[in-house]
Amino acid sequence: MQRPIVELSDVSISFAGVKALEGVDFSCHAGTTHGILGENGAGKSTLIKIISGVLKPDYGTIALNGKTVSVSGPAEAADAGIVCMFQELSLIPDLSVADNISLQRPPRRLGLIDKRAQIVRAEKLLSRVRCEDVDPRAMVRDLSLSRRQMIEVAKALGRDPKVLILDEATSALTQRDVETIYGLLDELRDDGVCSLFISHRMHEIDALCDRLSVFRNGHHVETFAKGERSDAEIVRLMIGRDVTAKFPPKPAPRERAPVVQLDDLRWQDRLKGISLTLGRGEILGIGGLDGQGQKELLLALFGVLKGVGGTVTVGENSGLPPSPHAAKTGRNRIALIPEDRKTEGLMLSLSIADNIIAAALDKVSSGAVIDRARLDAAVQDGMDRLRIKAGSTEDAVKTLSGGNQQKVVLAKWLMIAPDVILMNDPTRGIDVGTKQEIFRMMRALADEGKSILFYSSDYAELIGCSDRVIVLYDGQVVSELTGDAITEEAIVAASLNMQGEMA
Amino acid sequence: MTALTQIRPADRPILIAFSFTILILLIGTAYTMSTTGTVPLLQPSYLMQQLQIGSFLGLCAAGMMLVILTGHIDLSVPWTLTSAAMIATSVGGPWAIPAGLSVGLCVGLVNGFGVSVLRVPAMIFTLGLDTVLRGLMVARTGGFAPQDQATPAMLYLAKSKLMGVPVALFVWIAVSLLVTFILTRTTFGRALYAIGTNERAAWLSGIRTRAVVTGAFVGSGLCAALAGVLLAGYSAKAYQGMGNSFLLPAIAAVVLGGTHILGGRGRYAGTFLGVVLIVLLNSVLSIMQMPEALRQIIYGTVIIGMLLIYGRGMRVSE
Repeated sequence: MQRPIVELSDVSISFAGVKALEGVDFSCHAGTTHGILGENGAGKSTLIKIISGVLKPDYGTIALNGKTVSVSGPAEAADAGIVCMFQELSLIPDLSVADNISLQRPPRRLGLIDKRAQIVRAEKLLSRVRCEDVDPRAMVRDLSLSRRQMIEVAKALGRDPKVLILDEATSALTQRDVETIYGLLDELRDDGVCSLFISHRMHEIDALCDRLSVFRNGHHVETFAKGERSDAEIVRLMIGRDVTAKFPPKPAPRERAPVVQLDDLRWQDRLKGISLTLGRGEILGIGGLDGQGQKELLLALFGVLKGVGGTVTVGENSGLPPSPHAAKTGRNRIALIPEDRKTEGLMLSLSIADNIIAAALDKVSSGAVIDRARLDAAVQDGMDRLRIKAGSTEDAVKTLSGGNQQKVVLAKWLMIAPDVILMNDPTRGIDVGTKQEIFRMMRALADEGKSILFYSSDYAELIGCSDRVIVLYDGQVVSELTGDAITEEAIVAASLNMQGEMA
Repeated sequence: MTALTQIRPADRPILIAFSFTILILLIGTAYTMSTTGTVPLLQPSYLMQQLQIGSFLGLCAAGMMLVILTGHIDLSVPWTLTSAAMIATSVGGPWAIPAGLSVGLCVGLVNGFGVSVLRVPAMIFTLGLDTVLRGLMVARTGGFAPQDQATPAMLYLAKSKLMGVPVALFVWIAVSLLVTFILTRTTFGRALYAIGTNERAAWLSGIRTRAVVTGAFVGSGLCAALAGVLLAGYSAKAYQGMGNSFLLPAIAAVVLGGTHILGGRGRYAGTFLGVVLIVLLNSVLSIMQMPEALRQIIYGTVIIGMLLIYGRGMRVSE
């Protein structure tokens, strides 16, 4: 085999004392589509950030085309032909499609941007991604999410990649666009481009990649050609042991007294008439592709969204809480574990204690005055209950690992003794051990009679944890699964709204 | 600097400010020793007098800190102060002080509403309100100093001494203790830090962010109004532009004391020291008979220079 185009040797990097990558050797070759597998927190995105020059490793070397380089920044990586498409869109909403595509190196004439050449260039690239219907003069703001994602692809192509990194690039796409991307990747492979493909969807990896690398807990476990390992073996490599012990046992399905009842819940064009019942002591999973209204559903129940229509009953109260404060202090207390703990769940530079008590300050104070002794006791109780590992409760919460940070978010909300717990992808980016602890805790809470509404982007979690699963598609419930009917096939089929076609 | 790294990051700015205060005193004393052979800076009576003048700034800075902790800023301090002073003197009698304070309360409520409900950036809204207040006061007084005199109660608070200590200093210390208590021991205080660190996370934790932000602005308005009432007592009357020289020093004192200008971090002891530092810097510069222009230059340079030192410290600690 020829010289690898990117080669990492003995690369290690850690954040706040937590090793994100340790002694990783990794290489990829021109003319391959290389899949990178691993659970959340396995180190995939860190790997990509190192390759694309966003992060600098603590130890180890990086070689591009056989030459050892000290990649000092994204610009240098881009010059070497490494182009990265991140999950988060990097387009600027108030610029036109053509401006965005040529943002890095616009065609110039007399030192000024040549608008006409730019539009021609955009049209050419758009036709490569089969988006001829998009006007290059249109503002990105006015386009749908899936169109924007395809423009992101066009923009990446325009930079003439040698190494193209796709990080969950297909998550928001329609079936047709996904096929377009498949075709493009094949074309690029024939042109000698190396594509690094990260996806949580096994069938995509199966269909596209010719080599696979598995990462686990910051280690590169193994790289092999497609077909050398069975799916079951791959999964075992990813989690390091058999899948079965991962989730606590579920109780038998039974009738439950309803706690939350939604009828025809509507909000803007994101929720289009959602009806559901959440029973006492039940874990109700919400499935579906990202961005089908799951997040909005949880936010609506927590009183974050304004102008939500439909009928809602929570306990004996009817109607939605008007604010998070009302949700937290109502007769049926509601808690929300938000999607992004760094921006929504935690106050990162404040202490662990301040974060744990943030939602329950009124419980440890008389009037407006805080009782120090009660506060310390409550914080310690939260630390013990979730077994949060930290030097001192006065340490800033940002010094903790992702898993312990999420435990702080959970501790904060358990402090108010909630009746209904809304969880938005609570295990994202945390280690396997903590995940299992969280699953056990969810089941214990349900057994205590709490009701849990649980969205996860990981189907295995939905299957392992939920008593019942509803699948959302385009703001509507398209499927409801109970007991043994909760299978990956059924959820995937419902997620793509192609009941019967896929399975 | 090496010894400083052993100290908790939150305390470091306070120590730097403290060391700098001592340094200023030493430089000033060395100067007076070499020129006149006296040490006015180290005499309690002189220090008391300086702190008495400093108490007006101290009150403004205490209120400003509440707002800065939430990540906002209150630029309406100058004319809140002036308006409160003018209203207090013109109402007169026993209701003079309550009338002045109620001006601060109203300004705070309006600022809070504009920033937390209408979500206008604080920098714009409070600056706009400052201008409106100025217009109102000019319309009221015709642009001249009002003839009304400060009431005896105002004169007492600003000018008298109690056991040899200026009463104004007691007022400042009382407000300082109150603010310290609010910041460390009340749910409102904790909420200020939470909002300044991450407003969205605070709101999603069920903290009533609008009420808390409004509360911070009301605190700032009341403090500025109290400073205005006292300053009118000190000068025996209110006058146009009496608050103009308080805005930048108040913000500088808060920031020099280690409060993060974007909110969420800072201790009141730092703000207190920041005020002392600025007052002493001013008085040393005037003892040294610097020309006004040079004083301004040194004053601004010192503030920027100290913030650079903090900036370095912060990066090291993270």
